[in-house]
Amino acid sequence: MKYSIKNIKKELDNSQTILLVMPSIEYNDDIVKIVKELSGKSICYVTLNKTSGALIELFKKNMIKTENIVFIDAISKTIKKVPDQDNGVYYVSSPGALTELSLVITKFVKHNFNYLIFDSLTNLLVYESRAPVAKFLSSLVNKIKESKVKAVFYALSVKEQDTLIKESGMFVDKVIDLEKK
Amino acid sequence: MTKITKLSSKNKVIISKKDSKKDIKKNTSQKNIMIVDDEPDNVTTVKTILLKNGYKVLTAVNAEDCLNKIKAGDKPDLILMDIMMPGTPVREIIPKLPKSIKIAYLSVVRTSEAEKEDLLNVGNIVDFIQKPFDINELLKKVKKIVGS
Repeated sequence: MKYSIKNIKKELDNSQTILLVMPSIEYNDDIVKIVKELSGKSICYVTLNKTSGALIELFKKNMIKTENIVFIDAISKTIKKVPDQDNGVYYVSSPGALTELSLVITKFVKHNFNYLIFDSLTNLLVYESRAPVAKFLSSLVNKIKESKVKAVFYALSVKEQDTLIKESGMFVDKVIDLEKK
Repeated sequence: MTKITKLSSKNKVIISKKDSKKDIKKNTSQKNIMIVDDEPDNVTTVKTILLKNGYKVLTAVNAEDCLNKIKAGDKPDLILMDIMMPGTPVREIIPKLPKSIKIAYLSVVRTSEAEKEDLLNVGNIVDFIQKPFDINELLKKVKKIVGS
């Protein structure tokens, strides 16, 4: 039986950092369901595979209010001219700019958002090798631990990235595989 | 009948000596497509499809490489350009490319409809093809843009 996304809020009450392993085929539906569950509280959404514009469009289509969501967008700057920040969106130069990404996320963590959604660890591997990605995650989780922010890290369930998923599991409080109960 | 015998260093189709003059004439009017992508697997896949369908194919590993190859004399009718690649951002290279060359973006990145329209309003951008794409859809689009 598949894990129910409806439990995600409860899981985050018990575990501050969660690694969510998602089947790629249902990924686009699952990201909507998760934000739906968490909406109402303040969310910092880090996107590494869609523009914030695409996410806002997707969430609005699904009747999700985006007023409480601040985006850290590492995609838009690579394809169009955008300022460093604009109307609830903070732009990072590229998904591979780990230091810049880390600095911006750390700033947000200090603002004590209720939730931080990191979408996704799998995308980082397109730009960086496993070791720097694992180091980035470990450092980010440590910063989150010093705050009250609850964080969900997405990872796509792909065989080639099993090692990163296993390694990342050591840094977070809980690993949830959406394909398993 | 044209036979594909081997590929040159620029991946252009070389036609067999057995081909008639008529065939050769026909092949000189083959449309030239340049694939610009940093993912070798993507390049191989798209290249194979296009070659099989009678197009000449050029390749470049990033936007800068594409610009250099065009400056050096390559004359594609259409560039299939991955929108996100390492090196100089694609949006900075596009204005430097000749206006006569049509460009279609290939994108694994999802954008909003409004962003897509904005991208299509720039210079010679003629299409936005979302990855992963259906082979037949890609061919249909290429055919629509440059003809077969």
